[in-house]
Amino acid sequence: MIPILIDGVVQGLQLSLLAVGITLIYGLGGVLNLAHGQFAVTAGIATALLISNGVNVIVASLLGVLAAGVFGLVIDRSLLLAAYRYKGEERLLLGLVLTLGLSFVVDGYLNYRLPNVALTLRLPIPSLSVFGITIRAASVVMSLMAILVFLLLLIFLKGTLLGKAIRSIIQNEVGAELCGIRPARTRTFIVALSAVMAGLAGIAQGLFSSLGTEMGVEFTILALIVAVVGGVRSINGTLVAGILLGIVNAYASYYIGAYLALIILLGTAMLTILIRPSGLLAYWT
Amino acid sequence: MLIRVEGLEVSYAEMPVLRDVSIEAQRSEAVGVIGPNGSGKTTLFKAIVGMVRPKRGKIFYDGTRLDGLGTPDIVRLGIVYVPAERELFPQMTVLENLDLGAYINQKARGELLEFVFSFFPRLKERARQLAGTLSGGEQQMLAIARGLMAKPNVLLLDEPSTGLAPLLVAEMYRQLSRLKKEGLTILLAEQQVPLALSFTERAYVLENGRVKLSGTSKDLLGEPEIKRAYLGVA
Repeated sequence: MIPILIDGVVQGLQLSLLAVGITLIYGLGGVLNLAHGQFAVTAGIATALLISNGVNVIVASLLGVLAAGVFGLVIDRSLLLAAYRYKGEERLLLGLVLTLGLSFVVDGYLNYRLPNVALTLRLPIPSLSVFGITIRAASVVMSLMAILVFLLLLIFLKGTLLGKAIRSIIQNEVGAELCGIRPARTRTFIVALSAVMAGLAGIAQGLFSSLGTEMGVEFTILALIVAVVGGVRSINGTLVAGILLGIVNAYASYYIGAYLALIILLGTAMLTILIRPSGLLAYWT
Repeated sequence: MLIRVEGLEVSYAEMPVLRDVSIEAQRSEAVGVIGPNGSGKTTLFKAIVGMVRPKRGKIFYDGTRLDGLGTPDIVRLGIVYVPAERELFPQMTVLENLDLGAYINQKARGELLEFVFSFFPRLKERARQLAGTLSGGEQQMLAIARGLMAKPNVLLLDEPSTGLAPLLVAEMYRQLSRLKKEGLTILLAEQQVPLALSFTERAYVLENGRVKLSGTSKDLLGEPEIKRAYLGVA
């Protein structure tokens, strides 16, 4: 029971890391990014290519994450500009179509040009034993990384002026502009940061199994489910929703089978949305 | 002239809201914009701060063209708009809201905080409270205080007395007079016409998007049309 719970929490942290970018980009830019999983895959595949060319694993991972960040920045300053010209529902719909198209293009390119590239990372650290429970080194590394990223993100958002500016745009873009804050610049920074966090989640996938070029859509769907359950504008909610759904997924996979786990995950998401339509922590964040 | 609006025309979906509006304000002057609901007061202010794009006309601030600039750029020039809707950040504390008011003026943040707390001591008591949980009057104070945190040269106040108790309104106008003496230019849209005309030196009366009357506030107070329409004098 306990090892499954630990697996679930670790999976959940990875999901949260992936989904927090969806939350931030939607909150700040009003765009639901359907190519978010492709940020994760870009980082993973770039890392795999660098490693296969003899680059040190840590350096390759850092460059992979950077590649995702640059990809995010370029997308924000090019493709998404068309969506930012509109407001509200029009921006949301155009953003959906544009990012869906982008996901097809990225997937098509990667599957056509790099069909056999995959990222698998092996840590040179043995598993840990805590109170007789064996915990994989990959789980420890993944958890520590996710917790550190979330802590830094929360410190940044609560404790720095730029972080407060980002929160202010999420809450009231007009009010933010009246304070002299430029939403467009802040948005570009957040899209790049979200891509970096998705990149970290993508590379972490290589620690557990393997990250392939075809995984973008799956990542995006999981991230969307987590973001919606968490309240789509709530960062704390995304963290809690990720962990909750990670645990549900781990138990469902163990007791019922991986093939039904996604259905159970979706059922849990639907139930949560029915009970709390605004998200788990809608009133807290 | 510090602020000059020339022949301004604004339309919402081809529906004209402002037609050939020209107004001006000098440094340290308080200028009133009065008129019934829907006369175009708010649209005029929104056009000055770049929140709506004019169809025709020019807006100058100290000789610089404002029309075509974005709101954040106009705020950075020293023109701050406090809208009737307040546009606060409800899930942030009073202090965080004020901090963001000084976003373009962080070096003077401490000094500005002291300054606005001296105006609105109630906000100091509520500094750690979420803005969304404040009373209507306190939210109005916070909106004005947040505007002042930018250390503006021109302050555009849209219906500032809305939601405030009469005593607080009197206190707020007393403090605004103090600011005016310190060199602040104030453009004021106010439903309470006697209040607006007693606070300002000059005023414009808008009706159906046009300037119907203009002059010194003292003269306007004596205008039969104003007396009849706004002061309830037959």
